[in-house]
Amino acid sequence: MQHLLSMILFLPLLVAFTMGIFRVSIETLRMVTFGSSLMVLLFAVVVTSYFNVEGGMQFVHNSSWISHYGINYSIGLDAISLLLLLLIALLMPLIFLAIWEEQRKGYFYNLLLLQAGISGVIMAQDLILFYLFWESMLLPIFIMIGSYGYGMRHFNAMKIIIMTVFGSMSMLLAIIYLGYTHYTTVGFWSFELSNLAQLAFDSKTSILLAGAFLLAFAIKIPLFGFHTWMAPAYSSSPTAIVVVLSAIMAKLGVYGLYRFGFTLFEIPLGFYTPYVILLCLIGIVFYSIHAIMQRDLKRIFAFSSGAHLSLITLGLFMTNIYAWSGGLYLLATHAIASAGIFLMIGMLGRRTQNIQIAHLGGIASIAPRFAFFFAFFALAITGVPGTGGFVAELLIIVGAFKYHFWVGVVAAMTMLGAILFIFWTLQRTLFGTTQEVTKHFGDLSAIEIGILTPLVIILLITGIFPSLLLDFFDASLSTNLEAFQGGVK
Amino acid sequence: MIWDLYLVMPLALIFIGALFLMLFSLVQKVELANYNLVTVAFLTLSLIIELIIFQNVEHDYLFETIFAKMFIVDKLSTLFNILFLSGAILTLLINNNYFKSRDYYNGEFFALLLFSIFGMMMLAHTNELITAFISIELASITLYVLVGYNHHSLKSSEAMLKYIILGSLAGVFFILGVALVYGVVGSTYLGDIYTYLAHHQNDEMTLLIVGMMFMMVTLLFKIGAAPFHSWVVDVYIGSPFPVTMFMATTLKIAIFSILLRLFLVDFAPIYPIISEIIKAVAILTLLIGSLLAISQTQLKGMLAASSIVHVGYMLIALYAISLGSSFAASAIIFYLISYFLSAVGAFGILSFLASDEEKRHLSFDDFKGFAHERPYMAAAMTIFMLSLAGFPSTIGFLGKFYIFMSAIEAGEILLAGFGIMIAFISIYYYFKLIALMYFYPSANPKKKFPFSISTLLIVAMALMIVWGGIGTGLIPFIAGADGLLTIASEALKTIGK
Repeated sequence: MQHLLSMILFLPLLVAFTMGIFRVSIETLRMVTFGSSLMVLLFAVVVTSYFNVEGGMQFVHNSSWISHYGINYSIGLDAISLLLLLLIALLMPLIFLAIWEEQRKGYFYNLLLLQAGISGVIMAQDLILFYLFWESMLLPIFIMIGSYGYGMRHFNAMKIIIMTVFGSMSMLLAIIYLGYTHYTTVGFWSFELSNLAQLAFDSKTSILLAGAFLLAFAIKIPLFGFHTWMAPAYSSSPTAIVVVLSAIMAKLGVYGLYRFGFTLFEIPLGFYTPYVILLCLIGIVFYSIHAIMQRDLKRIFAFSSGAHLSLITLGLFMTNIYAWSGGLYLLATHAIASAGIFLMIGMLGRRTQNIQIAHLGGIASIAPRFAFFFAFFALAITGVPGTGGFVAELLIIVGAFKYHFWVGVVAAMTMLGAILFIFWTLQRTLFGTTQEVTKHFGDLSAIEIGILTPLVIILLITGIFPSLLLDFFDASLSTNLEAFQGGVK
Repeated sequence: MIWDLYLVMPLALIFIGALFLMLFSLVQKVELANYNLVTVAFLTLSLIIELIIFQNVEHDYLFETIFAKMFIVDKLSTLFNILFLSGAILTLLINNNYFKSRDYYNGEFFALLLFSIFGMMMLAHTNELITAFISIELASITLYVLVGYNHHSLKSSEAMLKYIILGSLAGVFFILGVALVYGVVGSTYLGDIYTYLAHHQNDEMTLLIVGMMFMMVTLLFKIGAAPFHSWVVDVYIGSPFPVTMFMATTLKIAIFSILLRLFLVDFAPIYPIISEIIKAVAILTLLIGSLLAISQTQLKGMLAASSIVHVGYMLIALYAISLGSSFAASAIIFYLISYFLSAVGAFGILSFLASDEEKRHLSFDDFKGFAHERPYMAAAMTIFMLSLAGFPSTIGFLGKFYIFMSAIEAGEILLAGFGIMIAFISIYYYFKLIALMYFYPSANPKKKFPFSISTLLIVAMALMIVWGGIGTGLIPFIAGADGLLTIASEALKTIGK
């Protein structure tokens, strides 16, 4: 039990390393990676079954790593990190199924490394450890966009790495400063989150430090103004990466804000709150309008992702219980829905070699099953009642109204904007007359339906029985929120 | 006496080996590989003894009755010697194929290399300025010859001429500085200079400070810090691959051995005067190095220019020492080790490629699709680049981490921020290579992993870099991230005043 988390973390690495040493054939590689991702899912489920909802940080494992500087290999989970861990563990097998036909081995190795990196970010409780995983998960993404992507892939790969590294470097400086301050004030070295959270700074320093962290996360989310890498990276990425980017990576930015930003800097973040809320609101409108203007499916949903992430961030910064639980709920449901939609765009791209909307149309008449699933995920993103997104967005909007009337009005526009561009996209893609590229469009195969069905089921369950998930993280959420509000007062 | 003989053994072995090879190279009909083998044998023997010495030496003088206190033996000097020796061994072994592929190598090459190592080892032991000068010149003069060893190439000769002229000019400053120091203090021993400095006011010893500044000029020139950096790129590009590798790794470390000793012992009383200069030099070095590195088209040139940047980082830590940072010195040693590992690996891959194919210049474009041709080599190269860029999970990250930590300890947050900014810029030129290797299709078919000493060593280096970055006490006898720092701080403890 003690080492379950470490196993989740290191199994993909171990598999990648052994497979690489023995240079196995593509068939073996495919089977083994799929098997390992199932194993990780199993471990994650076991962890969930032993998880105590009221228990705060659990499965804590702490061993010394660099003793001179008190840097520890320190991992643990609370309800929110467990949620993200389950998401990545669930998505990975589906992604491996979706790329089953892939002949290039690099795909599998990079995805394994990526899984390990993301799990590490979710579990890490030591800031240096967190930084290590936070940076290393970029590398597989960089290589995959550049090697297997589309369009201006070289440029876009470089762009995503340079922009995100810029953010993380500013965070690194803040981390080092925090660690050193801990050393001078407390007397021993530590980079442990719980220890660093005890530190007190004067207001100017803490605002600067919080800003350094915020920059890293704002680029990753991305908030409006830090978003220039987003659409190019999404449109250049291969399916597997775009799924991970929108379903997990972007959420990690929000998670980082929640876990590190709010734990370390309760008060100084208050200084940024109006600005961040403003950026989120601009983002919601801006991304929605941009989504309407795009001509290519991936870019449409890239901007739609951006709009929803702005909404989640908005929820996080309004710091009331509705908005927080709504934000985390949307985190989960949007991850599932956008994973579904990007997987389907990948399937569509394989069939037509073209995801320009102008060339599509009439799919519903020849591929009804495809049309059904596509429409379902698209609607789930807009948050139609019956899917999880509805509950989540409703909660955030209620929270937004509680915060301020006009904030609530603009937040509610996400739903409106999403409905606008999604329906228009659906109309142009699925309906109308068939075109040259969609003339011989094959319907979904059994495997593809098998990949998508779990996602549909989860979306429905979260939509119909919201209390299941809400209760799950309610306890840790309220404690954190109370702690936070206590700190502000 | 016996104890002294034991301590002098590594040095003596190298000297005997150099003489032996000098005579041996007159014999025709000896294969090049055998020269290499003999050299490596001498070096390895010496390395083993140094490793043993490292365990049980504290603070000692070599043949105190004969040389007085000219040669000091402590853990610091032993640690540096271990680095030089392993650098030389790695250079020779990794380049084994390269030597065979070129016709201008012969026995003297190895003798010269040993003389150079001998000079560096002496430099690490030195406790006196004249000895320091002789050691620096011994190491440098042999290197001048080695740089121009490819006598078919005009570029190589040009590099040698440039290096010789600038290098000797810089050397002159050192001897001038020593003369001034001697004129004031009346002694050239580091300890005496320290005592004099500690007991006099600043305005009484202008001449002494000027002398020390002159010495700094030479040392900064030798490590390639701006504004004395102009030779670095040309000389690195012009020299044969093994020599570039040897220079980039060992020579730089050697100069740092004396720089650290001078800085920690002698310069301590005049830190307020010198610290601002070091700071300016560090910032200038980082900026100019980055600009140079971005604009290079050849890989060798990029690595050369980036070595300037790495010196800049160490100068940040040197500056932190002068502000009283307690762990800056061990940060420098750790950084030297980390740079040593990464640079040996990166240059090793270059020379491996150069020996394999007729790609004489190895521009960036030659690396297009390299990952699809040689996946393991490309993976190793990626690790070296990541380590040089300071990406986490490699030893290079920890090196930078310690450096920035020492800057923050010294209260220089802006300087640490500037260093991080430079590290951010360096992401561009290191990732450019990774991008070229992975993003382009390969013109050649996939090749099998060539099992040979050089390739295995390169892979071992890559593993060590990762281990140095994430390694813990899990494997007891291999020093990971933690162990290396312990070694560095242990070595520094034995340095005497």
